[in-house]
Amino acid sequence: MSSYFGIFKMNFKGELQYRTKAISGVATQVFWGLMYIYLYTAFMGGKIIEGFSLEQMKSYVWLGQGFLVIRFLDLPKNCAKEIESGNVCYKFVRPINLYNQWFAEHIGYKLSAMILRCIPLIIVAFILPPSLRLMLPASFTAFILFIFTILIGAIMSSSISMIIVFLTFKTLSAKGTASICNTVFGILGGMYIPLVFMPQAVQNILNYLPFRFIIDLPARIYIGNISPLDALPFIGISIAWIIVIIGFGKLLLSRAGKSATIQGG
Amino acid sequence: MLYKNYVKMHLKSSMQYRANMTMLSISACLISVGELLAIFLMFENFNSVGYWGFYETALMFGIVTFVYSFTECFARGFDEFASVIKHGSLDRILVRPVSITYQIFGTKIELNKLLRCSLGVAVMIISLIKLNITWTILKVLVLIATLICGCLVIFGVMLIGAGISVFTVENLEFINIFTNGAKEIAFYPINIYNKWLSRVFTFIIPVACFNYLPLSYIMGYGELPQIVYALSPLIGMVFVIPCFIFFSWAIKKYQGTGT
Repeated sequence: MSSYFGIFKMNFKGELQYRTKAISGVATQVFWGLMYIYLYTAFMGGKIIEGFSLEQMKSYVWLGQGFLVIRFLDLPKNCAKEIESGNVCYKFVRPINLYNQWFAEHIGYKLSAMILRCIPLIIVAFILPPSLRLMLPASFTAFILFIFTILIGAIMSSSISMIIVFLTFKTLSAKGTASICNTVFGILGGMYIPLVFMPQAVQNILNYLPFRFIIDLPARIYIGNISPLDALPFIGISIAWIIVIIGFGKLLLSRAGKSATIQGG
Repeated sequence: MLYKNYVKMHLKSSMQYRANMTMLSISACLISVGELLAIFLMFENFNSVGYWGFYETALMFGIVTFVYSFTECFARGFDEFASVIKHGSLDRILVRPVSITYQIFGTKIELNKLLRCSLGVAVMIISLIKLNITWTILKVLVLIATLICGCLVIFGVMLIGAGISVFTVENLEFINIFTNGAKEIAFYPINIYNKWLSRVFTFIIPVACFNYLPLSYIMGYGELPQIVYALSPLIGMVFVIPCFIFFSWAIKKYQGTGT
């Protein structure tokens, strides 16, 4: 366990080195956030869509932008390169569980990126003029539950990334695979358009699938669209999904280890 | 012609990795489908924004998708110029007896963008049919000018990004605002956004010149005299000139990175 924690810490510290990049990234995300807010303002006007007021929609946008690193499915660092070049074979011979190692690496990266990126952006979103600003959490309980669910979202996102790792073994095209997965998750998880804008029948299905647990559920808890009490069953479902996805990922990866064609020489 | 060889080379190399090429083509198209779906759902929920409806916006989406993927396909070398600087390959380019711009055009030709390109054209044609426009020769010319203007404006933005990366070496993420951000903004008529945002993307980076301005002419909307709308793509094209001057100036200031 301690070795996995060491991997986690190493990646966490490594990521904290890139500060300029982070500032540039935050500026970009502020822009995207503002763009979506102006867009939804133009469309929504004063309307309320399924319990979403314009105010809540603005906060929903900011949380979505703020936690972009969590929403974005990518492979653990160097993992793609290692698979594509064939260096991954050295990983197979080490007495360490490959899944756990990559998973720890990835969670470390996600959490450090979250601290570097989300917190500055959230602070900026709070001090913007009132018409654009991120609102305070609906209640204290909602806030605690938000933190809890966003961590679940990070774990969910990393566990899905591990499935992409397996797919990369099969396709040997990390970029293409990750991009397709990102698009599918983006559409079904509310990244392209908030889920509330989807037809009701589609929403009824998507509410129970893993896609929305990454950011949609935490954000809705934060803005009070879902009360903490109503959220509890969904949190249960999301944890069940994580267990299933991690189990599935471990199974797939151990299979990949047995049958993988190693590239290069 | 040298460029023909460049194209042949890139075509051959991407044919070596056919699965990868297919995946990248599909994933690029899938993103466009997602974006179009988002636009569709917005109009499904809200019907219209100003006097713009779904098909007008879909036409914009088609134009923007075509223009972006076309430019990305052929001018990707400028978009990823930072990596050329970082690896020191610019030194090699500088000593060759062919113009730098020409060579950078050749460094990367992403043929996998062509599928997305055709998707843009398809959406454009479908929305043009659905819109029932009474065509005149001038309108056709304006539409063609709009497409050319779009390619040039995006190319201009890429030139600026490439020029900046001469000094920063790293590819800075905020350039993304002007490339991808401008793209996302251009899916919808720019005048629906708030004032400063629409001004920046009209007067500083003339995205509006291949967005709602020429389309207002084709559709017959808007308050300004029609001649302004009709000429807007031509004005937008001029944008590429200062961008090119900046890029050439930046290349002159280049100092090797030593790798």
